[in-house]
Amino acid sequence: MDSNSSRRTFLGICLGGLGAIAAAAVSWPLFRYLAPGSGSETAGKVVIAAADVREGEAKFFEFAGSSAVLVRKRGGDLFAFSAVCTHLGCIVQWEKDKQDFLCPCHAGHYSSDGVVTAGPPPKPLKKLPFAVTAGNVTVG
Amino acid sequence: MKYGKTAMKLRVGLYALLSLAFVTVITSSAAFAQENGEPVCIECHAKMPEKYSEPVKLWRGSIHAENGIYCNGCHGGDPKDAVNAMSPARGFLGAPKEPAIPAFCGRCHVGVMNDYLASAHGRMLGKGGPTCVTCHGNHQVVKASLDLINEKSCSRCHSYERAALIRDAMKETETTIVAIDGRISVFKKIGTDTDKLEKELFAVRNSFHSLFHNVNVELVKKESAWIQGDLKKIRVVLDKLDDARQKRKIAGAAVVSLMLLIALVLHLLRKTFD
Repeated sequence: MDSNSSRRTFLGICLGGLGAIAAAAVSWPLFRYLAPGSGSETAGKVVIAAADVREGEAKFFEFAGSSAVLVRKRGGDLFAFSAVCTHLGCIVQWEKDKQDFLCPCHAGHYSSDGVVTAGPPPKPLKKLPFAVTAGNVTVG
Repeated sequence: MKYGKTAMKLRVGLYALLSLAFVTVITSSAAFAQENGEPVCIECHAKMPEKYSEPVKLWRGSIHAENGIYCNGCHGGDPKDAVNAMSPARGFLGAPKEPAIPAFCGRCHVGVMNDYLASAHGRMLGKGGPTCVTCHGNHQVVKASLDLINEKSCSRCHSYERAALIRDAMKETETTIVAIDGRISVFKKIGTDTDKLEKELFAVRNSFHSLFHNVNVELVKKESAWIQGDLKKIRVVLDKLDDARQKRKIAGAAVVSLMLLIALVLHLLRKTFD
């Protein structure tokens, strides 16, 4: 009887331990999902001198491992976009004479606001957050 | 005279009947084609003599067909109206004359067209030089690969020597691209979201294949270096995915073992109550 009781206690402790491990195994992915990301996508800000982007021109740069572009419209408005075409991922080019973006792969056209004006792209160019301080444009 | 009038009436009736039959056939074909989601051009041309139906057969095996680019995507016209499908008023362009072919294809493939026009091939446009269809074919355009550069094809116009040098310069990078493409396909099959990776690879491959159109060995060698750099970035992501997959397998095995262990302990625990 005593032997049975001590065995039961031992097995109960084992079961409790295994249950705790199982609970941790279930909770860990849930925690990983709910916890804030490592920020690798948004990490790293890029600073560009505002004077480097003249009116009607665009400046391409690397941002978060991908190509991005800063464009100053005629009139002075500044925009920052991902330079990745939303169709199949090619890098768009700035057409100064037309004041638009052209994707050389399948002739997708975007206005200087990033809006699709012609061709197959399904969505506008992704806008990137930026701030202008002390003559510098900080993207990201 | 009376007989003549009757014959006239019969002839008019016959013409009217034939016209009605023609319109019925055309519209029913059109309706059928629309039900299948294909333009009316395909429905009509597929039933025509070989000269007119062959483009449909060839197109079906093309990358354009694979990606839902139909006849009107290149030739214009109205894909929903069989009667006016080939009306210039509806934007029908027909087939371009040879010197106009690069501009015809270049409406979509702008980058490649510009590279081609600046190349030795492009400078011979209209003077016996090759156009897009010389190497890629017209209706059966397949996904571009290094197979397009071969002795049989290039030797139609000039010696293979220079083309072989370009092919050799491109071979290593092309092999890497094909290998990465294969790895992405494997991840896609098992349900991984590969959209971003596919787009990145497409962009790199497109830049790389555009390079060939310059027909410049030195440029190919020079540009291949940064293309390899971009491919390395994709490879790093794929390696991480491989690593995560491996870890997931181990974690899965550990969870199954844990469950079996819990089942065993429960069984033993139950026996203590017997």
